[in-house]
Amino acid sequence: MVTNRIDDWLSVMWQSLTSTGGLLLELVGVGPDVDPHTKVTFRAIGDAVMPETPGLAGELGPEHVSGGLAVDLDAFTVTYVDDGFQLGLPHLGPQGNIPIADPIAHLLDSAALTLVERGDNERDPDVDRALSLLGPDDPSPRAVEDVVGPFAKLSRRDRLRAIAIVDEFDVEFTPTDDDLFELDAGLVGQLVIGFMEMIYYSEWQGYDEFTQPPSRRSHPNDRSAVQSWRQTGFPGFADGYAALRGYVGTTDSPLGGGDTWATVDEAADVRIVRESGGFRENDYETSDYREPFPVESG
Amino acid sequence: MVEDSYDAIVVGAGGDGPVAAWKLAEAGLSVLVLEAGPFYGNEQWPRPNEDPGGEASSSAEDLSGDLLDEQFTTREFEMITKLVFGPADHERGFWFRKFPGDGAILQCAGVGGTTLHYTGCHPRAYPAAIDEQGHWPIEYADLIPYYQEVEEMCDVAPAPVTAKEELFFRGAADAGWELIEDLNVTEPGYRPQPNAITQPDERLHVDAGYDGDFTYPDVEGDTLALGNIAGNPHPRGAPYEEKAKKASNVSFVPPALRTGNVTIRPNAFVTDVVTVTPRGDTPTVAGVQFRDTWSGSVQQVDSEVVVLAAGAIETPRLWLNADLPANEWVGRGLTIHFGDNVMGLWDPDDLDEAIGSDVIDQHEGQDIAARFDYPGVGMLQTVGTAPGIGAILGFGASASGFAFQNDTPGEPWDTIGRLAGTELKRLLSDYRRMLQILVVSDDRPHQRNGVTVAPGVADEHGPIPIVNYEPSEGDRQRRDELARIAADILREAGASHVHRSDSPPTALHVHSTMRMGKVVDEACEAYDVDRLFVADHSVLANGVGGANPTNTGQALAARTGERIVERHF
Repeated sequence: MVTNRIDDWLSVMWQSLTSTGGLLLELVGVGPDVDPHTKVTFRAIGDAVMPETPGLAGELGPEHVSGGLAVDLDAFTVTYVDDGFQLGLPHLGPQGNIPIADPIAHLLDSAALTLVERGDNERDPDVDRALSLLGPDDPSPRAVEDVVGPFAKLSRRDRLRAIAIVDEFDVEFTPTDDDLFELDAGLVGQLVIGFMEMIYYSEWQGYDEFTQPPSRRSHPNDRSAVQSWRQTGFPGFADGYAALRGYVGTTDSPLGGGDTWATVDEAADVRIVRESGGFRENDYETSDYREPFPVESG
Repeated sequence: MVEDSYDAIVVGAGGDGPVAAWKLAEAGLSVLVLEAGPFYGNEQWPRPNEDPGGEASSSAEDLSGDLLDEQFTTREFEMITKLVFGPADHERGFWFRKFPGDGAILQCAGVGGTTLHYTGCHPRAYPAAIDEQGHWPIEYADLIPYYQEVEEMCDVAPAPVTAKEELFFRGAADAGWELIEDLNVTEPGYRPQPNAITQPDERLHVDAGYDGDFTYPDVEGDTLALGNIAGNPHPRGAPYEEKAKKASNVSFVPPALRTGNVTIRPNAFVTDVVTVTPRGDTPTVAGVQFRDTWSGSVQQVDSEVVVLAAGAIETPRLWLNADLPANEWVGRGLTIHFGDNVMGLWDPDDLDEAIGSDVIDQHEGQDIAARFDYPGVGMLQTVGTAPGIGAILGFGASASGFAFQNDTPGEPWDTIGRLAGTELKRLLSDYRRMLQILVVSDDRPHQRNGVTVAPGVADEHGPIPIVNYEPSEGDRQRRDELARIAADILREAGASHVHRSDSPPTALHVHSTMRMGKVVDEACEAYDVDRLFVADHSVLANGVGGANPTNTGQALAARTGERIVERHF
């Protein structure tokens, strides 16, 4: 917790927000689809969270090299977080959803500045690092060089350190006067780490187009269609498996009986047996209950 | 269609609301159930996320296993996005709520509520949590007949053993713990989960050489295909009520509808509880107002009794937004089973020695089928997940920062913290050889923890819930003890690497924000509003010891349904 820094941070945050022309317009749904600064920042997030890893080729195999950027994880994450939360207030954006990718990108810049200010970065920021992450369909490096923020200039590991700093901020901010929009800083780490990891390792990449209505989505459910499935060995979704080993039981247990498939605990006679029984509706006694750990009142 | 008045209105068709509705309807009362989310597997709503569809459903004939098969695709990312608490319209995001730090609340919207997501785990409370911890005004024995009734309705039985459960049982036994065979647990030990999932066909035994389809009617019961967190429609092809997982939409909704006395109205978010004060003192409930989540239209319905069953976040939110009488415990005392994740990874040879296979293949079997009970401390349970859910649960969040920032000398785990980048890719390349244990602690109710609302932070249904949760020192010690036991079990089972998440507070189980004895009386009727009852996990007086709460919530809702009839009809 860095409570003594919150005021400073909020000030930086607010300057960052207000100096970004068009942010408030974007909040009400006016402006480009994806801000170039946001695009570059999310490519930097994707590269840090799910990087390309040539070093794993020899250790694990060539299928483990590709990372999130190879499958446009960054672009989908922008769409997902912008469409992901809503207050049902149409003037805040399409369908009342709150576009939060831009504020997240700016928040990470503030965290990056804090990291560097503390001297906790292990490598110097470098704009070329960010520009090298641009894909073939992105604007040219020259076109976006001026909008690369402090976060995207950090090394991969320093970017993760900056995200960890965001977790320390137990604060909220309200960029609109009437408090309609709040962003808990803790949500940022959840979205750019937790959700990005979930999306990457899920079936997401296999869809023709995930933003289609559910009844029109198609998915091949084939390992070859999902990069992360090739990396985890997940076989896709199945209707079932003949994987039953039996039920736990003992000689006298009501839990299960029949032929023994395996012995779990020889001394206690615990086995995996072929047939299921049921739990015992036992008498119980709690008068000798003692709390193992302290119990606070209130 | 929705009439102007009913004997009873139940707000929320989650895990518990349908139980209360069933009890009330069995007694001959007319019941309207209002649900904020969609109704999956119902012919009135063939495309529940794309079109408003019908208005309401009053017949079990509307239920369709084929539609459930179509809508519950089992694809994890799609289903998480579909089921998590938000409006039916797929173009709109989740309903926003505030939770401290980088934790989260798991709530679902839709008929079935969060039981659409749950893993079928249906243990009872620990008796000592009810009788000895000092929170409950009723005794554990009062709940037993209702537990028995619910367990019968939900096919609760010992969960089947596949590779991951055998591995866990071996570790627990080698760590010196004993097998528990009881329903009413008073001592620590391990046992199969009492799961509300119809047991699998015996032909699915690994020795039976089964090579047929895993669809109904070739097989009946569970098909060991995981997927309960993503909805579980298995066995595919089965009629609605023959689906193996007995979420409340499958277990209690059909019998409730068959009474002929129940109407379920989905896409209806209740925004106000209407009261009258004829004698000028205690208000009496007169009905509710709800908003259609597709059209935005608002409707009022009158009733003799209102039963709040919107869950431990939304029920206090509704109370506070409805401007009902102040009570210092409304929304307070939140328990979430302050949890954690401990992950084991194995070398192939060690696995082969333990379970006769060099992979665990956590995607086979039921999601959560083995458990460790420790009354006074909490529980552990094995968790099998598809890789996406596994990544976010096991590695995506931590209160300790990233693993590369932490040293672990002298600790029972090799790494602790959030994982990303190369380390995550390396670890998840061993997905088929990992086993996750979910730590679920017996956190205690504290008045500082709970749900509030603040004017100005509002959505279309009024001020949003603002959740506060800070565990006590005792809560942390219970969780740490369980994490250590989990690591020990994994080591004894032969794990070569153990990772602890140190998860931030995350609310998978949410309870005790409208506690019996504080906000509601022993029949779960509000002290401050006549004829207003609560029948969801919010009335649990504590976290039931750390055991999964669904069985207790449903048992209590069944009891409350009977008490309502006795008192007022």
